[in-house]
Amino acid sequence: MKRKMQITLSLMLALVFVFITACGNSNNDGSTNKGTTNEATNSANEGAAAEPITIRLASGDVNANWDDMQSEVGKVIQEKTGITMKQEFPVGGSDEEMFALMVASDEYPDLVMPKGSAGKLVDAGALIDLRPIIEEYGPNIKKVYGEYFNRLRWSEDDDAIYILPSSGVGHTYFESGGGFQLQHQVLEAAGYPEIKTVQDYEAAIKAYIEKNPKTADGQPTIGLSLNGGEWQILISVTNPAFYATGAPDDGEFYVNQDTYESIMHYQRPEEREYFRWLNHMNDIGLLDKESFVQKYDQYKAKVASGRVLGLIDQDWDYADAQNALKAAGNFKATYARFPVTLNDTFQDHSFQGTGYVGGNGLGITKDAQDPVRLIKFLDYLASDEGQVLVNWGIEGKHYNIVDGKRVIPAEVQAQKSNDNNTFKKTTGIDNYLLSARYGDGVKDPSGNYYTTIFPEQIQVAYSEEDKKTLAKYNVTTYRDLWPAADAFPERKYGAAWTLPFETGSQANVIFQKSQDIMKKRIPEAILAKPADFDKVYDAFLKDLDDAGVAKLNAEFTKMVKDRVELWSK
Amino acid sequence: MKPLTEGNPQTGLSNKKNRFWSRAFQQRYLYMMSLPFVIWIFIFSYVPVWGWLTAFQNYKPKNGIFDQKWVGLDNFIELFQDERFYIVLRNTLAMSTMGLIISFTIPVIFALLLNEMRGQFFKRSVQTISYLPHFVSWVVVAGLVTKMLSTDGGAVNQLLMYLNIIETPIQFMAKGEWFWGIVTLSDLWKEMGWNSIIFLAAMSGIDPELYEASTVDGAGRFRKMWHITLPGIRTTFMVLFILSIGHLVSIGFEKQFLLGNPLVSDYSEVLDLYALKYGIQLSRYSYGTAIGIFNSVVSILLVFIANGIYKRVTKESII
Repeated sequence: MKRKMQITLSLMLALVFVFITACGNSNNDGSTNKGTTNEATNSANEGAAAEPITIRLASGDVNANWDDMQSEVGKVIQEKTGITMKQEFPVGGSDEEMFALMVASDEYPDLVMPKGSAGKLVDAGALIDLRPIIEEYGPNIKKVYGEYFNRLRWSEDDDAIYILPSSGVGHTYFESGGGFQLQHQVLEAAGYPEIKTVQDYEAAIKAYIEKNPKTADGQPTIGLSLNGGEWQILISVTNPAFYATGAPDDGEFYVNQDTYESIMHYQRPEEREYFRWLNHMNDIGLLDKESFVQKYDQYKAKVASGRVLGLIDQDWDYADAQNALKAAGNFKATYARFPVTLNDTFQDHSFQGTGYVGGNGLGITKDAQDPVRLIKFLDYLASDEGQVLVNWGIEGKHYNIVDGKRVIPAEVQAQKSNDNNTFKKTTGIDNYLLSARYGDGVKDPSGNYYTTIFPEQIQVAYSEEDKKTLAKYNVTTYRDLWPAADAFPERKYGAAWTLPFETGSQANVIFQKSQDIMKKRIPEAILAKPADFDKVYDAFLKDLDDAGVAKLNAEFTKMVKDRVELWSK
Repeated sequence: MKPLTEGNPQTGLSNKKNRFWSRAFQQRYLYMMSLPFVIWIFIFSYVPVWGWLTAFQNYKPKNGIFDQKWVGLDNFIELFQDERFYIVLRNTLAMSTMGLIISFTIPVIFALLLNEMRGQFFKRSVQTISYLPHFVSWVVVAGLVTKMLSTDGGAVNQLLMYLNIIETPIQFMAKGEWFWGIVTLSDLWKEMGWNSIIFLAAMSGIDPELYEASTVDGAGRFRKMWHITLPGIRTTFMVLFILSIGHLVSIGFEKQFLLGNPLVSDYSEVLDLYALKYGIQLSRYSYGTAIGIFNSVVSILLVFIANGIYKRVTKESII
């Protein structure tokens, strides 16, 4: 009898557990906050502003060198603001998953840096409107964004500010990472000819490969390889079509600068000619046959072997492979970059100005205990004092002032260049770029740059081969080969790739379809026999029409016009 | 203590219903023990099904599930009107059918041959080696396959060139019509040993007396395989076969995703990938759910059809 009791009791217990775990979560449903309810309670907390508090920040970008506020700069910030920040990063998944889960559970940390998921969070009512509290408590934030402050508004219908973009305001590009790349040894063998058009580029590769069909260790040389097997097809195949035909990168659209009429950029006749040139490169055997099949690691392995003479890519995409070449001492096989166009009537528009486009940044959630305190914290980081602190570090420790100029001592600079990871973690420099800030090339009232990147700094990073090549072309950086930013009028809409489609809208679906078609048809056209090129390309354009691209173009034109109107207010 | 399942003839006198309850009472401990698992399955497999409601809405995560716009069958109509859907459905069915046929013939033959092996050491080594690839991630396998089939020093092309079968390297990965074959063969390489384990286990369960009796009757090796071993594993084979027919439409997408490239997308895109791209990635949860419902309904139908055919032919049923 006793045994029976025991069995019954333990079974009951097991059941109870099952029910508890099953029902535990149902309490949260339906009690969704509307997002702005916290504001009313804020003013009550003001008196306690100096109290040290701990806040949570969920960041979509993993920062392996995050110092947990234990670094030198971190401690100063803690002291000045009384805020201790705990950062959370995506674990084992993508940042999109992390924020999707947050939305699903309806629980948020105080601060978020949601990257591409900002729209999702706003749609879910998770972010609070920062405009009123910035107006009241954020003079420095407002000052940094300056004339671009109205570009922070969310949309035509919603003038709230949900995200403080953390990209630098007034940023000057001192270096160019894109264009067409050629190995230094190819340039040297050709006697450093002018590389302006695709014909120049082709001739240099052709001359070299005829003389050197194999590398020193007997592997065949490859003329030009494109990273077209994965998503980088956009970087390595379609974006260069913009640049080579005198248009700036506006995502997948070409925007007429006067009328703002937008079309998918492959629909332009000029770009058809660019792809025809790639088709020609394939025909004469200079294009790597595997360009559209290879995986990213295969591509990197090829580049790292030093036998790919030319690339059309961005430096961040081939940097790993180039670092391997440098580590092996094969500097002749590293790359120089040129603004190459289809013919000399075009100019590379890579650096056509956009004004401040904002982009990813930081938002305060509805679960934050004290938004005013957080804005004051961000305002401190945006102040002149704060910006110098997060970019340069502590005076006397990480930099000295010599004749009114900020100078980084040699041993600090050495650690920064050679062991950047440890440097970031111990000093905290570059770990706190959270708030509004100025970009490279902007000077503070003392006449010094806010950031530590300026022309002299870039040349330090060049290898001897780079310097040799640059000297032959009479420039000091690759950037100098490109037309200056003020050579073209500023785009009134910023950059069109920052325009988001409404999630799940019809335009969004058509866009996805157009991308699928493009990724299949453009490689097909490039790999076709030259006689069939037009046939394939016409079929490609017809597929786009059938997928409803006309509707998409009309929608996008409207979005661009709305943006122009919104920003010119 | 009395055995729990023993029937009691005295109480089962009146009607059927009474008998059921008295029996249930006698077996109450058994019922109690199985109850947690029934509840478990109910919570994790049946409760989430109410999420299917979203397929009939234009679901936005901001609002609760009852606070949405109802759109009726719009999502299904859009799905069935999209020609891309029929392409991915074709690819899914083609690859899963090919996979089904290959994975139920070769491993059985392999198991039969291993079963005939005398040397225990050799047999065990072969078996272990053959199922090792099962534990290799698809990411690695896809890397291996693309490397092997590469035109840039890939082993397969070099072998074919060396044997003078081809003049120039073949772009295996760029030919859409070969993609199904490549997926099926790499799947076979990866899973052959693993799939044969269960057949080997079934074979070792066959009564040795049957073999002895047939030896007395003068049967040779192949006779024994045909008349004893194969019928001996028939039930196991059929159970597995019918269950995998249920999975025909949901074959996952890792293989296709990792081996595919834009050039062969017309042959490599499968239903799950389509749901990911056009459903979840575009935040169209409702559309994704509609695809999921289609998947489940087709799977259930397929299982019942397969079981029905089997029942007709053999007069046995497994479900």
